[in-house]
Amino acid sequence: MVNDFLNDLLTSRLSDPARAFWEKSRSEIAEGISETRFAALLAMASRHAKRQSLDLSEEELARAEALVPGWSPVAWNRLELLRINLLLARPDLETDAFAEAFEALFRFADEGETCALYRSLPLLPRGERFVWRAAEACRTNMLTVFEAVALDSPYPVNHFDDTAWHQLVIKSLFLDVPLYRISGLDDRLTPELTRMALDWAEERHSAGRTYHLGLWLCLGPHHPERVETLLSGHWPQADALERQAMLLAAGRAGQSDWLARFEPDSLDATLGAAWRQATEGHCGRKTFAPLFAQLETDQ
Amino acid sequence: MKYFDPHIHMSSRTTDDYQNMAAAGIRAVIEPAFWMGQPRTNVGSFIDYFASLVGWERFRASQFGIAHYCTIGINSKEANNEGLAREALEILPNFALKEGVVAIGEIGYDEITPAEEYIYQAQLQFAVDHDMVVMVHSPHRDKKNGIIRSIDVAREVGVPMHKLVIDHNNEETVDDVLDSGAWAAFTIYPNTKMGSERMVEVVRRYGPERIIVDSSADWGVSDPLSVPKTANLMRERGIDEKAIELTCWGNALEAYAQSGQIDEEELAREPVIDQRRSYNDNTVLRGQAPRVDDPVPN
Repeated sequence: MVNDFLNDLLTSRLSDPARAFWEKSRSEIAEGISETRFAALLAMASRHAKRQSLDLSEEELARAEALVPGWSPVAWNRLELLRINLLLARPDLETDAFAEAFEALFRFADEGETCALYRSLPLLPRGERFVWRAAEACRTNMLTVFEAVALDSPYPVNHFDDTAWHQLVIKSLFLDVPLYRISGLDDRLTPELTRMALDWAEERHSAGRTYHLGLWLCLGPHHPERVETLLSGHWPQADALERQAMLLAAGRAGQSDWLARFEPDSLDATLGAAWRQATEGHCGRKTFAPLFAQLETDQ
Repeated sequence: MKYFDPHIHMSSRTTDDYQNMAAAGIRAVIEPAFWMGQPRTNVGSFIDYFASLVGWERFRASQFGIAHYCTIGINSKEANNEGLAREALEILPNFALKEGVVAIGEIGYDEITPAEEYIYQAQLQFAVDHDMVVMVHSPHRDKKNGIIRSIDVAREVGVPMHKLVIDHNNEETVDDVLDSGAWAAFTIYPNTKMGSERMVEVVRRYGPERIIVDSSADWGVSDPLSVPKTANLMRERGIDEKAIELTCWGNALEAYAQSGQIDEEELAREPVIDQRRSYNDNTVLRGQAPRVDDPVPN
């Protein structure tokens, strides 16, 4: 059960007074409390837990993925973990009244609460009730809020229609968020998404701007001539990191002819490895994780 | 050195200000809730304003490496619209307990009317019930009398004096405030309040204990760099470095950290600015000169 897992994560990371707050709040919520009181508990959680990293172990991360495929609390902080535990402690999650209460919480939520509420989406029952709310998060100007709904969560890919899905991915590209953390991106590379990414690349090129690394995750096996033109045109000026991403992108986009032009032995070790991954079809979104990590280190 | 501006209305300021403030060493600010320069006409305006203080404005500040805290309260001017003020009072608890809300404020008197009295007392009571700090705005007219009354009423309601900050002081009011045990904040605001020169003399005369410098910069002619500028003048005039540190950083931190809503360890660290969060791909560089002559970056 997700609730047990989140409770385990929480209790091992709280101070004694904070654990007392959690235990007391949990029984209060189980007995049924007013919405005003619930909102106050959510707010006052900030007195008991700080925005510290969870530092999850490999085992904990694996357990999360096993419980809810495509979901990971890797980016959650302790305060968010406490708040989401409070939310999931409600006995009325399945009800229509909860959907109304959930929406009302957003009206008075601060930035931290907003993020926590959005992070809970993939864990709530009858998720289809919150599609409008989730798309609303994608209209935000706050990167933290956007990432809370867009990354490490299977909610968008499972519930968004094509318009909302394309907006989410292309906005991620604009904002330069780590696209390898968008769950379901490998399986939902639509022709329209590929076209939008190609158009974005052309705009950037005309303006004399560089591409974000995420571009190379957005190209599916569609519009092959345009993809090939982009790959061949950009290769000469691409740096080593981009070249690795481009080889993987070619694999994702089914550009086997373009890949076949390379003599793998003439490539250096890193690029050779990427080329082999691409030709063997081992180029899912998570293979880009080391590249984004490298980007972070370089900056 | 790092500076804390514990009274500044950033919603009314530009990103240039944020850049210049960060460059001048301002690491943290408090944005007290106040009026908008014109009266609000419905409670929704209060809701969206309070929500922006704990939401968008906090995020905006973080893009420049500045920690943004706020106070929530119904200002004295708008307390006089009795119906609206009571509606605002009802939604106050929805925001006053949020993360990073370091006080109830800025509240107090403007004309010293019964309507202002009612809203002031109700908010003091809320602060006492929830163990919160109170930031009091002192009136422009009849200031001295207004301050004495603010303190007396706060004491009657049960606000501990070490959790009371009286703002916009001057040479005439400082004695009463310090004698009461409250914190005395001074606003360095051109023309209508204190100037840096006078502030230096106040610190020289009274020492740094419980004295706080702020800018109260807003939509009027004001200066978001008042705190570092005043600190520099103190330095030039031979004020002890420890006194500068206390009046421009430490005292505000001590007063408002009583809220339990300031992560002091976090504040002590150099801010991590996520490049993707900054405008136009410009990082906010510490110590940089304001970039007034640069062309618009691509």
